[in-house]
Amino acid sequence: MFYLRIIWMALRGLRTNLMRSMLATIGVIIGVGAVVSAVSILQGSEKYFLDQFESLGADKIMVFNGQQQRGGRAMAVNSLKPEDAQVLADEGGDLIKAVAPQYTGGGQIKYFRKNAYVSILGATPGYAEINDYKPVRGSFITREDVRSSAMVVVLGHKVARELFGALPAEGKSVKINGKSFTVAGVMEERGTIGFLEVDNQIIIPLSTAMDRMFGSKYLTSLIVQCADTQKLDACIERTKIILRQEHNLKAGDEDDFITLTQEQFKRQLKQVAIIFAVVFYSIAGISMVVGGIGIMNIMMVSVTERTREIGVRIAVGARRIDILLQFLLEAGIISLFGGALGVACGMAMGDLLSKITQVLQLYTPATTIIYALVMALVVGIISGIYPAIRASNLDPVMALRYE
Amino acid sequence: MSQESANTHPILQAAQLRKEYRMGESVVHALDGVDIAIGAGEFVSITGSSGSGKSTLMHILGCLDRPTSGMLAFKGTLVSRMSDRQLANLRNKNIGFVFQTFNLINRTSAIENVMVPLIYTRKSFSRSIALEALDKVGLKNRAKHTPGELSGGECQRVAIARAIVNSPEVILADEPTGNLDTRTGTSIMETFRSLHESGITIVLVTHEMDVAVQANRMIHMKDGKIVEDLRVDDEYRNYVLQAAQSTQHELLRAKDRMEKAGQKHRVGSGEPGGSTMEPGVVIDEITPDRGGMD
Ligand SMILES: Nc1ncnc2c1ncn2[C@@H]1O[C@H](COP(=O)(O)OP(=O)(O)OP(=O)(O)O)[C@@H](O)[C@H]1O
Ligand SMILES: [Mg+2]
Repeated sequence: MFYLRIIWMALRGLRTNLMRSMLATIGVIIGVGAVVSAVSILQGSEKYFLDQFESLGADKIMVFNGQQQRGGRAMAVNSLKPEDAQVLADEGGDLIKAVAPQYTGGGQIKYFRKNAYVSILGATPGYAEINDYKPVRGSFITREDVRSSAMVVVLGHKVARELFGALPAEGKSVKINGKSFTVAGVMEERGTIGFLEVDNQIIIPLSTAMDRMFGSKYLTSLIVQCADTQKLDACIERTKIILRQEHNLKAGDEDDFITLTQEQFKRQLKQVAIIFAVVFYSIAGISMVVGGIGIMNIMMVSVTERTREIGVRIAVGARRIDILLQFLLEAGIISLFGGALGVACGMAMGDLLSKITQVLQLYTPATTIIYALVMALVVGIISGIYPAIRASNLDPVMALRYE
Repeated sequence: MSQESANTHPILQAAQLRKEYRMGESVVHALDGVDIAIGAGEFVSITGSSGSGKSTLMHILGCLDRPTSGMLAFKGTLVSRMSDRQLANLRNKNIGFVFQTFNLINRTSAIENVMVPLIYTRKSFSRSIALEALDKVGLKNRAKHTPGELSGGECQRVAIARAIVNSPEVILADEPTGNLDTRTGTSIMETFRSLHESGITIVLVTHEMDVAVQANRMIHMKDGKIVEDLRVDDEYRNYVLQAAQSTQHELLRAKDRMEKAGQKHRVGSGEPGGSTMEPGVVIDEITPDRGGMD
C-alpha cells in the first residue's frame, strides 16, 4: 500500500510535466526502439530464412556458381554445366542419391488476354523427385522433353489459377516471353522450395530454358540430394572432388562454385544476425546512456523545484529513505514510460521496414518487450540515484526556508 | 491554566537551547540559551522582531532541527537520544506543523494534501480520516479542489487539516496568519482556538498583537533569548483588543477624512460604503504569497 501510494505520487508528478518528461526520455525511447525493432527484424527474418531452407531439407546440398580471384579481385564466374549433373549422378556412388540441375530466370506468360509475371525454372525430371513435388493434373517434364528441348510447360498452382481459373489447362497453348508452349500439367500447391515461391513459378525443360529461352551455357544452380544425412560431410566432399575434376581445377586453385547446406546456411545466417545485433545493440546502448543522462537532468530539476515540498514531507514524518524511494521510483517510472513509447516506436519502425523491403519479416517475442521495459526501468532507477540522494539529504529547515 | 501545566511531564521541555550559525569568522546566535516548558493543553504565542529566533525555536521544538547545544525533551524523553527514524515517527504522529506560506502541493487536491502524513504513517491509511480532518476545518465540501482553486484562508485550513490528520498532541504554527488579511486571519485563529479546546497543545508564532493575545501564554523573544513570558487573562486580553480596536477606529476616521478630501482619487465606480477596511491593526495592503509548490 505504501509503495502503491509512492508510485501514485510519482505518477501525479509526471502528469504535470508530461511534455518535459517525454523530452527527457527521448534517449530511452530511441534505445528501446532500436532494440525492439532490431530483435523483431532479426527474429522474424531468421525464422523466415530458416523456414525457407527447412523446405529444402537437411539432406540437400545447393551448389551455386562461385567466384574466382582475378587480378586480386573476386569475380563471379559461371562454371556449372548441365553435364556436371550427369557426372555427379554417375560418379556419386552410394553417397549421392540424385542430382537436379536448374536454370532460373523470369518472364511473362500469356494466355489470350490474361498474363502474369512469373519465375521460370528450367529443370529435369529429377527436380520433382528430389523435392517430392508432384503435378496434380497432367504430367511433369519428361526425360524425352529435356532431350528434345520440347516447348512444353508445367504451371505452378497459382499461375494456373490466374490464367485458367477453374478450367483445365493441359494441352492449351500459352506464350512465354513471346514463344509458344504447350501446357503439360499443373503442379500441386506447395508454397516455397529453397527460397523459390514455386506456386508462382512455371517449369520448362532445362535444355529449352538454356538453349531456346535464355541462351546460356551454364546452370544457375544444382541441387544434390545425399543418400544419408549422417554422411553429409562425405557427400559434400565427393561433390566438390567431382566438380573440381570436371572443371579442370588444379591443386592450388580455388573452387569455382559454392556449396551450401542447411547447416552451413544456418551458421552464416547466425553470423549476419550477430553483426546486425552488435550494431543495433551499440546504438541502443549509447541511446540508453544519453537517455539516462536526460532523466538524471530532469530529476535534478525536479528536486530543485520541489525543495520545499521535500521539506514539508520531512516535517510531516517522511524518513530520508521515503524521499529517496519517491524520487527513485519517479525516475524509474518516467523511464518506463519512455520504454513503453520506445516499444511502440520500435514495432512501428520494424513494420515500416518490413513493408518497404518486402524481405524482412517481423516477429516480436513477448520476452523482448519485457526485457526492453526492464532495461528502461533499470536505466531510470540508476539515473535517479544521484538526484534521489540529493533530495533525501536535504536539510528540512533549509528546504522550508527555500524560496 | 496552572492545573494544566501541573501534569506529570510538560509536553515539551527545553533547557539552555543554543543554535549557532557560523558565517566565516562571525557566529550568529540564532538561539542564545532558551529555557522553556510547555505543558499539555497550553496555547502559547511567541512574538519578537524579525531575526529574534522564533522560527529557529519552532524548528527545534518540532524535532526538525537539532540545537547546537542544550536539552530538549518530548513528554520526558530526551530528543537528542532519538534516532532519525524515531524523530520522523514523532513528527508524523505527535507533532503538526503549520507554515506561513501554507506549503501545499499544488498538483494534488486538498484531500490528497491532507493525506500526505498518512502515507508516512504506513498504517491506518484511509481517505475517511483525511476527510474527517477537512471537516474539522470546515472544508469537507472542497476536498477535490486543488490549492489553485482555493483562497488563501482555505489553503491555510487545508494545511491545518494536514497538521491534525494524525491527531497530534502539539501543533506548531509559524506565522499562520502572516499571509492572510485580517478577517481571514481571525477565522483561522478561531479554528486554532477550537482545536485548543479539543485538547491540542498549540504554539504559535505571530507578529500581530491581537493574534498573540488570543493565546493563554505569551512569550516574547529578542536576540535569541526569551525576554518575557506571561500568562494572559481575560482582563489583559480585553485591554489589548480594545486598544487595537481604538487604533482601528482612528485609522478608519483618518481614511474617511482622506476620502472626503479627494474623491477624485477613487478609480472606477467603487461602491460607496464598501470599505475595504477590516477590523484589526494591520491595514497594509497584503499581497498574499500562496506559497504553494508544484
Ligand atoms: N541557515 C542559516 N545560516 C545563517 N544564519 C541563519 C540561518 N538560519 C537562520 N539564521 C539566522 O538566525 C537568526 C534567527 O532566525 P529566525 O528565522 O529564527 O528568525 P525569526 O524570528 O523567525 O524571524 P522572522 O520573524 O523574520 O521569521 C536570524 O538572524 C537568521 O539570519
Ligand atoms: Mg520566522
